[in-house]
Amino acid sequence: MRLLLAFLSLTLLGTLHASAQSREDIVLTGGPALRFMEHGKGDVSHDVYWFNFVDASVIRLKELKDQAKPDELITWLIYRPAYASRSEEMGLDLLAQLQDKAKTLGVRLVWFNSKEELVAYLNRGLDRDKIKIGDFDYFGHSNKACFLFDYSNTIDTMSIAWLHVKDLKLIDRDIFARDATCKSWGCHSGEMYSQWWKSRFDVPMTGAIGKTDFAHGGLPQLSNSDGKWAE
Amino acid sequence: MRLILFSALFSGSLLLTTGPLPAQEAVYQAPVGEAPPVAPPLKKGSPLDHLANDPKIAQPVIGYREGHTEGDAPWIAHRLIDPVGGQGWGWVKKNGDDWGSAKWIALQETLGVAVAPHRKLVKADGDLDWEFKFWGKFASYKAYDPRLDEQLPVFIVQGYEVIGPEPPLNIKVGPPNRIDHRPSGASSRDNRPIMTDPGVD
Repeated sequence: MRLLLAFLSLTLLGTLHASAQSREDIVLTGGPALRFMEHGKGDVSHDVYWFNFVDASVIRLKELKDQAKPDELITWLIYRPAYASRSEEMGLDLLAQLQDKAKTLGVRLVWFNSKEELVAYLNRGLDRDKIKIGDFDYFGHSNKACFLFDYSNTIDTMSIAWLHVKDLKLIDRDIFARDATCKSWGCHSGEMYSQWWKSRFDVPMTGAIGKTDFAHGGLPQLSNSDGKWAE
Repeated sequence: MRLILFSALFSGSLLLTTGPLPAQEAVYQAPVGEAPPVAPPLKKGSPLDHLANDPKIAQPVIGYREGHTEGDAPWIAHRLIDPVGGQGWGWVKKNGDDWGSAKWIALQETLGVAVAPHRKLVKADGDLDWEFKFWGKFASYKAYDPRLDEQLPVFIVQGYEVIGPEPPLNIKVGPPNRIDHRPSGASSRDNRPIMTDPGVD
């Protein structure tokens, strides 16, 4: 009986919380490579700095926070396993640092461990009949067909956690607001991913033609002069 | 009522928090005024420390063992570098089976226990067409190779023994969908590789 009451109270709390919001802004952050995997790769060695995606995410989260209306909820989705293993490699508790950053920003931090968990959150993390996603930003490794939440962290130069364009069908079509703003800050998304995104959700997603560069410390920029942002 | 409140708070905290890591150290402070920060010093005795600082050799040493190698080896592995640029490691077959049953695999190393044999070599292709006894298992998940837009079975190596160099195998390289010429559907160029660098750093 007590357990039932606890469950009912949780449901009630969730409903009350959800009913106060009408829109959710999401920043999705992938993980860094392990230095072990990238050792000796010279100029193409990835993620010397472990928080390259995080720092860029924080900048965007601050922007969203400043622009947010009272009924907007801001959620930071982070692929946890990559930061856990990088923590182990470095002997630093990066997970605690991420929690502190989220707390300082005043945003909800939601860890995910797999594509399935991410998709479940996007579809059912909140009541999507009432709370649509108004803004979506992705920071992480990517190629034109994939968001790579894990890259060169478990297996050298490969991924064990990704969201392929063919996986977009796993995400409900109607989770986004009609006027939603979406952007992938990763490499090459504008060459294929954006088109599949638009086709699936009927909202545009800005993506890069060519590579993007996180190394300068701000929001990512296009790496090459012939690169451009596209939808 | 207290139980209800406790349950609600506890359940909510699961979404927002995570437990501390077993070994916590002080927060690393990057050099002031420099962006981006540099990597912190290597952790002494770590796999990365060994990789960076242990002396390298030209070829594997026949008979060398690493990791958990108790009992008969259940697997035999043949190293090859993918000629079309994929990141697969080579083939693995059950010990006693013929090479026709071998799988083209992504190799998941077990850091601190057993890593890929080429990590000890001066050149990553120094073990080309060498064979190894493998201890380990196939993972329940697959690996995605972003260079070719392919998925490969994952073999988690937990130990190995160097057998020695062997003649090249006359079997097709790549995962089944490459061999069967099944288009992935992702590429506008169908079977042609993506070959875009996924890196951004």
